[in-house]
Amino acid sequence: MKKPDRLLFSAKRGVVRIVPLILFGLAWHVVCSAGLVNRDFLPAPAAVAAALADLFKGGEIARNLTITLFRATVGLVLGAICGIWIGVMMARSRRFREYVTPIVGGTYSLPKSALIPLFALWFGIGNITSIAAVFLACLLPMIVNTYHGVVTTPKVLVWSAEALGTGERELWPRIFIRNALPDIFTGLRIALGFSFVLAISAEMIASTNGIGKLIFMYGENGTYDYMFAAIVCIVIVAFFADRVLILLTRRLLVWHESAVAELDARRP
Amino acid sequence: MLDLARPKIEIRGVSKTYASEHGPVLALRGTDLTVNEGEFVSIVGPSGCGKSTLLYVVGGFLAADGDVVIDGTPIKGPGTDRGVVFQEYALFPWLTVRDNIGYGLERQGMAAAEREKIVGRLVKVIGLAGFENRYPRELSGGMKQRVAIARTLACDPAILLLDEPFGALDAQTREIMQDELLRIWLETRKTVLMVTHDVTEAVYLSNRICVMSARPGQIIEEFSVTLDRGRSREELVVSEQFNSIRNRVWLSVRRQALVAGGRNEEA
Repeated sequence: MKKPDRLLFSAKRGVVRIVPLILFGLAWHVVCSAGLVNRDFLPAPAAVAAALADLFKGGEIARNLTITLFRATVGLVLGAICGIWIGVMMARSRRFREYVTPIVGGTYSLPKSALIPLFALWFGIGNITSIAAVFLACLLPMIVNTYHGVVTTPKVLVWSAEALGTGERELWPRIFIRNALPDIFTGLRIALGFSFVLAISAEMIASTNGIGKLIFMYGENGTYDYMFAAIVCIVIVAFFADRVLILLTRRLLVWHESAVAELDARRP
Repeated sequence: MLDLARPKIEIRGVSKTYASEHGPVLALRGTDLTVNEGEFVSIVGPSGCGKSTLLYVVGGFLAADGDVVIDGTPIKGPGTDRGVVFQEYALFPWLTVRDNIGYGLERQGMAAAEREKIVGRLVKVIGLAGFENRYPRELSGGMKQRVAIARTLACDPAILLLDEPFGALDAQTREIMQDELLRIWLETRKTVLMVTHDVTEAVYLSNRICVMSARPGQIIEEFSVTLDRGRSREELVVSEQFNSIRNRVWLSVRRQALVAGGRNEEA
Protein backbone atom coordinates (compact mmCIF):
# COMPACT_ATOMS: atom_id res chain seq x y z
CA MET A 1 0.00 0.00 0.00
CA LYS A 2 1.26 3.50 -0.78
CA LYS A 3 2.12 5.85 2.07
CA PRO A 4 -0.62 8.49 1.56
CA ASP A 5 -3.23 5.73 1.41
CA ARG A 6 -2.09 4.37 4.72
CA LEU A 7 -2.19 7.81 6.32
CA LEU A 8 -5.70 8.36 5.04
CA PHE A 9 -6.70 4.96 6.33
CA SER A 10 -5.32 5.64 9.82
CA ALA A 11 -6.98 9.04 9.85
CA LYS A 12 -10.31 7.47 8.93
CA ARG A 13 -9.95 4.90 11.66
CA GLY A 14 -9.07 7.62 14.15
CA VAL A 15 -12.27 9.49 13.26
CA VAL A 16 -14.35 6.34 13.60
CA ARG A 17 -12.92 5.80 17.06
CA ILE A 18 -13.51 9.35 18.23
CA VAL A 19 -17.14 9.62 17.10
CA PRO A 20 -18.59 7.56 19.98
CA LEU A 21 -16.62 9.67 22.46
CA ILE A 22 -18.01 12.89 20.98
CA LEU A 23 -21.54 11.45 21.11
CA PHE A 24 -20.97 10.50 24.72
CA GLY A 25 -19.83 14.04 25.55
CA LEU A 26 -22.84 15.49 23.72
CA ALA A 27 -25.25 13.22 25.60
CA TRP A 28 -23.63 14.27 28.85
CA HIS A 29 -23.98 17.93 27.90
CA VAL A 30 -27.64 17.52 26.92
CA VAL A 31 -28.50 15.67 30.12
CA CYS A 32 -26.92 18.46 32.19
CA SER A 33 -28.30 21.43 30.31
CA ALA A 34 -31.81 19.94 30.18
CA GLY A 35 -31.77 19.87 33.95
CA LEU A 36 -32.39 16.12 34.11
CA VAL A 37 -29.90 15.78 36.93
CA ASN A 38 -28.71 17.92 39.79
CA ARG A 39 -25.75 19.92 38.46
CA ASP A 40 -24.05 19.70 41.83
CA PHE A 41 -23.78 15.97 41.48
CA LEU A 42 -23.08 15.75 37.76
CA PRO A 43 -21.24 18.82 36.51
CA ALA A 44 -21.56 19.74 32.84
CA PRO A 45 -18.66 18.99 30.47
CA ALA A 46 -17.92 22.70 30.16
CA ALA A 47 -17.60 23.05 33.95
CA VAL A 48 -15.24 20.09 34.07
CA ALA A 49 -13.15 21.59 31.26
CA ALA A 50 -12.94 24.88 33.17
CA ALA A 51 -11.88 23.05 36.32
CA LEU A 52 -9.30 21.12 34.33
CA ALA A 53 -7.83 24.35 32.93
CA ASP A 54 -7.72 25.79 36.43
CA LEU A 55 -5.96 22.72 37.82
CA PHE A 56 -3.41 22.85 35.02
CA LYS A 57 -2.74 26.53 35.58
CA GLY A 58 -2.15 26.03 39.27
CA GLY A 59 0.26 23.15 38.56
CA GLU A 60 -1.75 20.86 40.81
CA ILE A 61 -2.31 18.28 38.12
CA ALA A 62 1.31 18.15 37.04
CA ARG A 63 2.55 17.84 40.61
CA ASN A 64 0.16 15.12 41.71
CA LEU A 65 0.24 13.25 38.44
CA THR A 66 4.03 13.01 38.68
CA ILE A 67 3.70 11.54 42.16
CA THR A 68 1.08 9.00 41.09
CA LEU A 69 3.01 8.01 37.98
CA PHE A 70 6.17 7.61 40.03
CA ARG A 71 4.42 5.23 42.44
CA ALA A 72 2.68 3.27 39.69
CA THR A 73 5.86 2.97 37.61
CA VAL A 74 8.14 1.89 40.46
CA GLY A 75 5.59 -0.67 41.65
CA LEU A 76 5.01 -1.94 38.12
CA VAL A 77 8.70 -2.24 37.26
CA LEU A 78 9.58 -3.98 40.54
CA GLY A 79 6.53 -6.23 40.25
CA ALA A 80 7.38 -7.12 36.66
CA ILE A 81 11.03 -7.91 37.41
CA CYS A 82 10.19 -10.03 40.46
CA GLY A 83 7.20 -11.64 38.74
CA ILE A 84 9.24 -12.69 35.71
CA TRP A 85 11.95 -14.02 37.99
CA ILE A 86 9.52 -16.01 40.15
CA GLY A 87 7.69 -17.33 37.06
CA VAL A 88 10.96 -18.51 35.51
CA MET A 89 12.09 -20.08 38.79
CA MET A 90 8.78 -21.91 39.10
CA ALA A 91 9.33 -23.41 35.68
CA ARG A 92 12.97 -24.24 36.42
CA SER A 93 12.76 -25.80 39.85
CA ARG A 94 10.20 -28.32 40.93
CA ARG A 95 10.80 -27.67 44.61
CA PHE A 96 10.43 -23.90 44.17
CA ARG A 97 7.20 -24.49 42.26
CA GLU A 98 5.81 -26.73 44.97
CA TYR A 99 6.39 -24.02 47.56
CA VAL A 100 5.18 -21.08 45.52
CA THR A 101 2.15 -22.51 43.70
CA PRO A 102 -0.18 -22.64 46.75
CA ILE A 103 0.78 -19.07 47.68
CA VAL A 104 0.19 -17.79 44.15
CA GLY A 105 -3.07 -19.74 43.87
CA GLY A 106 -4.25 -18.49 47.26
CA THR A 107 -3.51 -14.82 46.67
CA TYR A 108 -4.30 -14.58 42.95
CA SER A 109 -7.97 -13.73 43.33
CA LEU A 110 -7.51 -11.65 46.49
CA PRO A 111 -8.42 -8.00 45.80
CA LYS A 112 -5.07 -6.41 46.64
CA SER A 113 -6.73 -3.14 47.66
CA ALA A 114 -8.00 -4.97 50.76
CA LEU A 115 -4.43 -4.96 52.01
CA ILE A 116 -3.91 -1.20 51.74
CA PRO A 117 -4.98 -0.44 55.36
CA LEU A 118 -2.56 -3.11 56.54
CA PHE A 119 0.24 -1.65 54.42
CA ALA A 120 -0.57 1.80 55.82
CA LEU A 121 -0.12 0.35 59.29
CA TRP A 122 3.22 -1.19 58.37
CA PHE A 123 4.68 1.39 56.02
CA GLY A 124 2.86 4.57 57.05
CA ILE A 125 1.22 7.16 54.84
CA GLY A 126 2.83 7.83 51.47
CA ASN A 127 5.10 6.34 48.83
CA ILE A 128 5.98 2.97 50.33
CA THR A 129 2.39 1.93 50.99
CA SER A 130 1.28 2.88 47.46
CA ILE A 131 4.27 1.22 45.82
CA ALA A 132 3.84 -1.95 47.89
CA ALA A 133 0.17 -2.20 46.86
CA VAL A 134 1.02 -1.67 43.17
CA PHE A 135 3.92 -4.11 43.42
CA LEU A 136 1.77 -6.88 44.84
CA ALA A 137 -1.01 -6.36 42.32
CA CYS A 138 1.45 -6.44 39.39
CA LEU A 139 3.43 -9.36 40.74
CA LEU A 140 0.77 -12.04 40.38
CA PRO A 141 -0.24 -11.60 36.72
CA MET A 142 3.46 -11.42 35.85
CA ILE A 143 4.21 -14.68 37.68
CA VAL A 144 1.28 -16.55 36.19
CA ASN A 145 1.84 -15.37 32.61
CA THR A 146 5.62 -15.85 32.65
CA TYR A 147 5.28 -19.34 34.05
CA HIS A 148 2.65 -20.23 31.45
CA GLY A 149 4.78 -18.87 28.62
CA VAL A 150 7.81 -20.88 29.69
CA VAL A 151 6.12 -24.22 30.33
CA THR A 152 4.19 -24.11 27.05
CA THR A 153 7.44 -24.04 25.06
CA PRO A 154 7.03 -26.85 22.50
CA LYS A 155 9.34 -29.79 23.16
CA VAL A 156 10.44 -29.88 19.53
CA LEU A 157 11.77 -26.30 19.80
CA VAL A 158 13.87 -27.25 22.81
CA TRP A 159 15.08 -30.41 21.11
CA SER A 160 15.88 -28.57 17.88
CA ALA A 161 17.90 -26.01 19.82
CA GLU A 162 19.77 -28.78 21.65
CA ALA A 163 20.53 -30.64 18.43
CA LEU A 164 21.89 -27.36 17.03
CA GLY A 165 24.35 -27.01 19.88
CA THR A 166 22.46 -25.02 22.54
CA GLY A 167 23.56 -25.90 26.08
CA GLU A 168 21.23 -26.25 29.06
CA ARG A 169 21.97 -22.75 30.40
CA GLU A 170 21.69 -21.10 27.00
CA LEU A 171 18.23 -22.61 26.50
CA TRP A 172 16.81 -20.10 28.98
CA PRO A 173 17.60 -16.83 27.24
CA ARG A 174 17.43 -18.28 23.72
CA ILE A 175 14.37 -20.50 23.83
CA PHE A 176 12.28 -20.44 27.00
CA ILE A 177 12.25 -16.68 27.62
CA ARG A 178 11.79 -15.94 23.92
CA ASN A 179 8.85 -18.30 23.80
CA ALA A 180 7.37 -16.71 26.93
CA LEU A 181 7.64 -13.11 25.64
CA PRO A 182 4.10 -12.88 24.20
CA ASP A 183 2.69 -14.11 27.51
CA ILE A 184 4.98 -11.80 29.46
CA PHE A 185 3.62 -8.85 27.48
CA THR A 186 0.06 -10.01 28.11
CA GLY A 187 0.94 -10.05 31.82
CA LEU A 188 2.46 -6.58 31.52
CA ARG A 189 -0.70 -5.19 30.02
CA ILE A 190 -2.80 -6.61 32.85
CA ALA A 191 -0.26 -5.36 35.39
CA LEU A 192 -0.27 -1.88 33.85
CA GLY A 193 -4.03 -1.65 34.40
CA PHE A 194 -3.66 -2.85 37.98
CA SER A 195 -0.86 -0.38 38.64
CA PHE A 196 -3.16 2.60 38.08
CA VAL A 197 -6.02 1.07 40.05
CA LEU A 198 -3.84 0.31 43.06
CA ALA A 199 -1.84 3.53 42.99
CA ILE A 200 -5.06 5.55 43.03
CA SER A 201 -6.80 3.40 45.64
CA ALA A 202 -3.78 3.53 47.93
CA GLU A 203 -3.63 7.31 47.57
CA MET A 204 -7.30 7.65 48.45
CA ILE A 205 -6.79 5.62 51.62
CA ALA A 206 -3.28 6.35 52.76
CA SER A 207 -1.65 9.38 51.18
CA THR A 208 -1.42 13.12 51.44
CA ASN A 209 -0.86 13.65 47.73
CA GLY A 210 -1.24 12.10 44.26
CA ILE A 211 -4.16 12.07 41.84
CA GLY A 212 -6.04 9.57 44.01
CA LYS A 213 -5.87 11.91 46.97
CA LEU A 214 -6.93 14.82 44.73
CA ILE A 215 -10.00 12.95 43.50
CA PHE A 216 -10.89 11.89 47.01
CA MET A 217 -10.40 15.36 48.44
CA TYR A 218 -12.53 17.14 45.82
CA GLY A 219 -15.19 14.47 46.33
CA GLU A 220 -15.20 15.07 50.06
CA ASN A 221 -15.40 18.82 49.56
CA GLY A 222 -18.25 18.46 47.09
CA THR A 223 -16.38 20.22 44.29
CA TYR A 224 -17.42 17.64 41.77
CA ASP A 225 -16.30 19.55 38.69
CA TYR A 226 -12.73 19.44 40.03
CA MET A 227 -13.11 15.79 40.97
CA PHE A 228 -14.26 14.99 37.44
CA ALA A 229 -11.37 16.97 36.01
CA ALA A 230 -8.88 14.89 37.99
CA ILE A 231 -10.61 11.67 36.89
CA VAL A 232 -10.49 12.76 33.24
CA CYS A 233 -6.77 13.38 33.61
CA ILE A 234 -5.96 9.95 34.95
CA VAL A 235 -8.23 8.28 32.36
CA ILE A 236 -6.30 9.98 29.55
CA VAL A 237 -2.92 9.12 31.04
CA ALA A 238 -3.89 5.47 31.62
CA PHE A 239 -5.25 5.20 28.09
CA PHE A 240 -2.06 6.50 26.53
CA ALA A 241 0.12 4.30 28.75
CA ASP A 242 -1.84 1.29 27.49
CA ARG A 243 -1.49 2.40 23.83
CA VAL A 244 2.27 2.88 24.26
CA LEU A 245 2.57 -0.62 25.67
CA ILE A 246 0.56 -2.07 22.77
CA LEU A 247 2.76 -0.28 20.23
CA LEU A 248 5.87 -1.50 22.02
CA THR A 249 4.54 -5.06 22.08
CA ARG A 250 3.82 -4.92 18.36
CA ARG A 251 7.26 -3.57 17.64
CA LEU A 252 9.00 -6.24 19.71
CA LEU A 253 6.80 -9.18 18.75
CA VAL A 254 6.45 -8.74 14.98
CA TRP A 255 7.16 -12.44 14.67
CA HIS A 256 4.15 -13.40 16.74
CA GLU A 257 0.62 -14.19 15.53
CA SER A 258 -0.88 -11.47 17.70
CA ALA A 259 0.79 -8.92 15.44
CA VAL A 260 -0.85 -10.40 12.36
CA ALA A 261 -4.39 -9.25 12.99
CA GLU A 262 -3.34 -5.62 13.08
CA LEU A 263 -1.09 -5.93 10.03
CA ASP A 264 -3.86 -7.65 8.07
CA ALA A 265 -6.29 -4.91 8.99
CA ARG A 266 -3.95 -2.41 7.39
CA ARG A 267 -3.78 -4.32 4.13
CA PRO A 268 -6.11 -3.26 1.34
CA MET B 1 28.19 -48.55 -4.61
CA LEU B 2 28.25 -47.94 -0.87
CA ASP B 3 30.65 -49.00 1.78
CA LEU B 4 28.04 -50.73 3.88
CA ALA B 5 30.47 -52.32 6.26
CA ARG B 6 30.96 -49.39 8.61
CA PRO B 7 28.20 -49.07 11.23
CA LYS B 8 27.30 -45.43 11.94
CA ILE B 9 24.42 -45.83 14.38
CA GLU B 10 24.10 -48.89 16.60
CA ILE B 11 20.97 -49.25 18.67
CA ARG B 12 21.53 -51.98 21.23
CA GLY B 13 18.74 -53.36 23.37
CA VAL B 14 16.92 -50.04 23.79
CA SER B 15 13.86 -50.17 26.04
CA LYS B 16 11.74 -47.22 27.02
CA THR B 17 8.96 -47.02 29.57
CA TYR B 18 6.64 -44.03 29.82
CA ALA B 19 4.77 -43.06 32.94
CA SER B 20 1.08 -42.52 32.19
CA GLU B 21 -2.11 -42.02 34.15
CA HIS B 22 -2.84 -45.74 33.85
CA GLY B 23 0.58 -46.80 35.05
CA PRO B 24 3.82 -47.38 33.17
CA VAL B 25 3.61 -48.03 29.43
CA LEU B 26 6.35 -50.00 27.70
CA ALA B 27 6.96 -48.16 24.41
CA LEU B 28 10.08 -49.98 23.23
CA ARG B 29 11.30 -53.43 24.24
CA GLY B 30 14.88 -54.41 23.58
CA THR B 31 15.11 -52.76 20.16
CA ASP B 32 18.21 -53.46 18.08
CA LEU B 33 19.11 -51.73 14.85
CA THR B 34 22.30 -50.88 13.05
CA VAL B 35 22.48 -48.17 10.40
CA ASN B 36 25.59 -48.15 8.26
CA GLU B 37 27.39 -45.09 7.07
CA GLY B 38 25.70 -43.49 4.08
CA GLU B 39 22.58 -45.60 4.41
CA PHE B 40 19.03 -44.26 4.24
CA VAL B 41 16.97 -46.34 6.64
CA SER B 42 13.25 -45.87 7.22
CA ILE B 43 11.28 -47.13 10.16
CA VAL B 44 7.62 -47.82 9.44
CA GLY B 45 4.99 -49.27 11.71
CA PRO B 46 1.47 -48.80 13.07
CA SER B 47 0.77 -45.53 14.88
CA GLY B 48 1.73 -45.59 18.54
CA CYS B 49 4.30 -48.37 18.03
CA GLY B 50 7.12 -46.26 19.44
CA LYS B 51 8.92 -45.44 16.21
CA SER B 52 9.17 -41.73 17.01
CA THR B 53 10.25 -42.60 20.55
CA LEU B 54 13.14 -44.61 19.09
CA LEU B 55 14.17 -41.64 16.97
CA TYR B 56 14.08 -39.31 20.01
CA VAL B 57 16.26 -41.78 21.92
CA VAL B 58 18.78 -41.78 19.07
CA GLY B 59 18.60 -37.98 19.07
CA GLY B 60 19.52 -38.03 22.75
CA PHE B 61 16.34 -36.17 23.73
CA LEU B 62 14.89 -39.05 25.75
CA ALA B 63 16.80 -41.22 28.19
CA ALA B 64 16.23 -44.95 27.78
CA ASP B 65 17.66 -48.29 28.87
CA GLY B 66 20.20 -49.84 26.53
CA ASP B 67 22.80 -48.14 24.37
CA VAL B 68 22.86 -45.89 21.35
CA VAL B 69 26.32 -45.90 19.86
CA ILE B 70 27.46 -43.43 17.23
CA ASP B 71 30.83 -44.07 15.56
CA GLY B 72 31.70 -46.47 18.36
CA THR B 73 30.92 -44.05 21.21
CA PRO B 74 27.75 -44.26 23.32
CA ILE B 75 25.78 -41.02 23.22
CA LYS B 76 25.13 -39.00 26.37
CA GLY B 77 22.60 -36.52 25.04
CA PRO B 78 21.78 -34.42 21.98
CA GLY B 79 24.66 -33.51 19.71
CA THR B 80 25.39 -31.53 16.58
CA ASP B 81 26.49 -34.74 14.85
CA ARG B 82 22.80 -35.63 14.60
CA GLY B 83 20.58 -33.14 12.78
CA VAL B 84 16.86 -33.47 13.37
CA VAL B 85 13.80 -32.52 11.32
CA PHE B 86 10.40 -32.77 12.98
CA GLN B 87 6.97 -33.12 11.44
CA GLU B 88 5.85 -29.85 13.08
CA TYR B 89 8.81 -27.96 11.50
CA ALA B 90 9.95 -26.66 14.90
CA LEU B 91 11.32 -23.42 13.47
CA PHE B 92 12.08 -20.73 16.01
CA PRO B 93 9.12 -18.40 15.42
CA TRP B 94 11.01 -15.34 16.69
CA LEU B 95 13.80 -15.73 14.16
CA THR B 96 13.68 -14.90 10.46
CA VAL B 97 14.39 -17.49 7.78
CA ARG B 98 17.99 -16.26 7.66
CA ASP B 99 18.48 -16.46 11.43
CA ASN B 100 16.77 -19.84 11.70
CA ILE B 101 19.11 -21.34 9.11
CA GLY B 102 22.12 -19.62 10.67
CA TYR B 103 21.20 -20.50 14.26
CA GLY B 104 23.39 -23.60 14.62
CA LEU B 105 26.34 -21.88 12.92
CA GLU B 106 26.03 -18.95 15.27
CA ARG B 107 26.01 -21.33 18.24
CA GLN B 108 29.26 -22.79 16.91
CA GLY B 109 30.69 -19.28 17.05
CA MET B 110 31.02 -18.79 13.30
CA ALA B 111 31.61 -15.20 12.19
CA ALA B 112 28.64 -13.39 10.65
CA ALA B 113 30.22 -12.99 7.20
CA GLU B 114 31.04 -16.67 6.88
CA ARG B 115 27.62 -17.61 8.20
CA GLU B 116 25.97 -15.39 5.64
CA LYS B 117 27.75 -17.26 2.83
CA ILE B 118 26.46 -20.66 3.95
CA VAL B 119 22.97 -19.33 4.65
CA GLY B 120 22.88 -17.63 1.26
CA ARG B 121 23.82 -20.85 -0.50
CA LEU B 122 21.25 -22.93 1.42
CA VAL B 123 18.47 -20.41 0.82
CA LYS B 124 19.09 -20.87 -2.88
CA VAL B 125 19.24 -24.67 -2.58
CA ILE B 126 15.78 -24.72 -0.96
CA GLY B 127 14.44 -22.19 -3.45
CA LEU B 128 13.60 -19.50 -0.91
CA ALA B 129 15.86 -16.70 -2.11
CA GLY B 130 14.09 -13.42 -1.37
CA PHE B 131 12.40 -14.82 1.72
CA GLU B 132 15.40 -14.39 4.04
CA ASN B 133 13.74 -11.76 6.20
CA ARG B 134 10.38 -13.47 6.57
CA TYR B 135 9.25 -14.95 9.86
CA PRO B 136 8.03 -18.56 9.98
CA ARG B 137 4.38 -17.51 10.41
CA GLU B 138 4.53 -15.87 6.98
CA LEU B 139 5.53 -19.14 5.27
CA SER B 140 3.50 -22.08 3.97
CA GLY B 141 3.99 -25.57 5.40
CA GLY B 142 6.24 -26.67 2.58
CA MET B 143 8.38 -23.54 2.86
CA LYS B 144 8.69 -24.02 6.62
CA GLN B 145 9.85 -27.58 6.20
CA ARG B 146 12.39 -26.48 3.59
CA VAL B 147 13.78 -23.97 6.08
CA ALA B 148 13.86 -26.65 8.79
CA ILE B 149 15.86 -28.94 6.49
CA ALA B 150 18.21 -26.11 5.55
CA ARG B 151 18.68 -25.23 9.23
CA THR B 152 19.72 -28.81 9.89
CA LEU B 153 21.98 -29.05 6.82
CA ALA B 154 23.73 -25.77 7.71
CA CYS B 155 25.59 -27.47 10.54
CA ASP B 156 26.56 -30.31 8.19
CA PRO B 157 25.70 -33.15 10.58
CA ALA B 158 26.88 -36.65 9.63
CA ILE B 159 23.48 -38.06 10.54
CA LEU B 160 19.98 -36.87 9.70
CA LEU B 161 17.11 -37.94 11.95
CA LEU B 162 13.77 -37.32 10.26
CA ASP B 163 10.55 -37.63 12.26
CA GLU B 164 7.71 -37.93 9.74
CA PRO B 165 9.20 -34.89 8.03
CA PHE B 166 6.51 -34.53 5.36
CA GLY B 167 3.54 -35.79 7.38
CA ALA B 168 1.96 -32.35 7.71
CA LEU B 169 2.20 -31.45 4.01
CA ASP B 170 -0.34 -31.88 1.24
CA ALA B 171 0.25 -34.73 -1.23
CA GLN B 172 1.76 -32.63 -4.04
CA THR B 173 4.11 -30.67 -1.80
CA ARG B 174 5.10 -33.91 -0.10
CA GLU B 175 6.26 -35.47 -3.38
CA ILE B 176 8.27 -32.39 -4.31
CA MET B 177 9.90 -32.38 -0.90
CA GLN B 178 10.69 -36.09 -1.14
CA ASP B 179 12.46 -35.50 -4.44
CA GLU B 180 14.43 -32.64 -2.91
CA LEU B 181 15.43 -34.79 0.05
CA LEU B 182 16.45 -37.61 -2.27
CA ARG B 183 18.57 -35.21 -4.31
CA ILE B 184 20.25 -33.84 -1.19
CA TRP B 185 20.90 -37.34 0.09
CA LEU B 186 22.37 -38.50 -3.22
CA GLU B 187 24.65 -35.45 -3.20
CA THR B 188 25.78 -35.57 0.40
CA ARG B 189 25.44 -39.28 1.23
CA LYS B 190 24.62 -38.55 4.82
CA THR B 191 23.43 -41.35 7.07
CA VAL B 192 19.66 -40.97 7.37
CA LEU B 193 17.23 -42.51 9.83
CA MET B 194 13.65 -41.60 8.97
CA VAL B 195 10.40 -42.42 10.72
CA THR B 196 7.29 -42.42 8.56
CA HIS B 197 3.89 -44.06 8.33
CA ASP B 198 3.86 -43.63 4.55
CA VAL B 199 5.05 -46.91 3.02
CA THR B 200 5.37 -45.48 -0.51
CA GLU B 201 7.55 -42.68 0.83
CA ALA B 202 9.74 -45.18 2.67
CA VAL B 203 10.23 -47.33 -0.45
CA TYR B 204 10.86 -44.31 -2.66
CA LEU B 205 13.57 -42.86 -0.40
CA SER B 206 15.29 -45.66 1.51
CA ASN B 207 17.97 -48.31 1.07
CA ARG B 208 16.43 -50.32 3.82
CA ILE B 209 13.06 -50.38 5.56
CA CYS B 210 12.53 -51.65 9.09
CA VAL B 211 9.03 -52.58 10.15
CA MET B 212 8.24 -52.08 13.80
CA SER B 213 5.83 -54.24 15.76
CA ALA B 214 2.82 -52.95 17.62
CA ARG B 215 3.64 -51.62 21.09
CA PRO B 216 5.99 -52.46 22.75
CA GLY B 217 7.98 -51.69 19.63
CA GLN B 218 10.68 -53.90 18.21
CA ILE B 219 12.05 -54.19 14.69
CA ILE B 220 10.42 -57.37 13.41
CA GLU B 221 11.11 -57.33 9.71
CA GLU B 222 13.57 -55.68 7.35
CA PHE B 223 13.37 -55.04 3.64
CA SER B 224 16.28 -54.15 1.49
CA VAL B 225 15.39 -51.72 -1.31
CA THR B 226 17.43 -51.77 -4.48
CA LEU B 227 16.01 -49.36 -6.99
CA ASP B 228 17.65 -47.71 -9.94
CA ARG B 229 17.95 -44.16 -8.59
CA GLY B 230 18.70 -42.90 -12.07
CA ARG B 231 15.08 -43.39 -13.09
CA SER B 232 12.47 -40.71 -12.73
CA ARG B 233 9.73 -40.87 -10.16
CA GLU B 234 7.12 -41.47 -12.84
CA GLU B 235 8.94 -44.53 -14.14
CA LEU B 236 9.84 -45.80 -10.70
CA VAL B 237 6.44 -45.78 -9.03
CA VAL B 238 4.79 -47.78 -11.80
CA SER B 239 7.62 -50.32 -12.03
CA GLU B 240 7.14 -53.94 -11.03
CA GLN B 241 10.20 -53.75 -8.79
CA PHE B 242 8.90 -50.76 -6.82
CA ASN B 243 5.42 -52.12 -6.35
CA SER B 244 6.46 -55.58 -5.27
CA ILE B 245 8.55 -54.14 -2.42
CA ARG B 246 5.84 -51.63 -1.59
CA ASN B 247 3.23 -54.39 -1.32
CA ARG B 248 5.39 -56.59 0.86
CA VAL B 249 6.17 -53.76 3.27
CA TRP B 250 2.54 -52.67 3.26
CA LEU B 251 1.35 -56.17 4.18
CA SER B 252 3.90 -56.41 6.96
CA VAL B 253 2.81 -53.05 8.45
CA ARG B 254 -0.84 -53.97 8.06
CA ARG B 255 -0.39 -57.17 10.03
CA GLN B 256 1.07 -55.13 12.90
CA ALA B 257 -1.65 -52.51 12.63
CA LEU B 258 -4.29 -55.24 12.92
CA VAL B 259 -2.57 -56.59 16.03
CA ALA B 260 -2.53 -53.09 17.53
CA GLY B 261 -6.13 -52.46 16.45
CA GLY B 262 -7.39 -55.72 17.93
CA ARG B 263 -5.70 -54.92 21.20
CA ASN B 264 -7.30 -51.50 21.35
CA GLU B 265 -10.73 -53.00 20.82
CA GLU B 266 -10.22 -55.45 23.68
CA ALA B 267 -9.25 -52.57 25.98
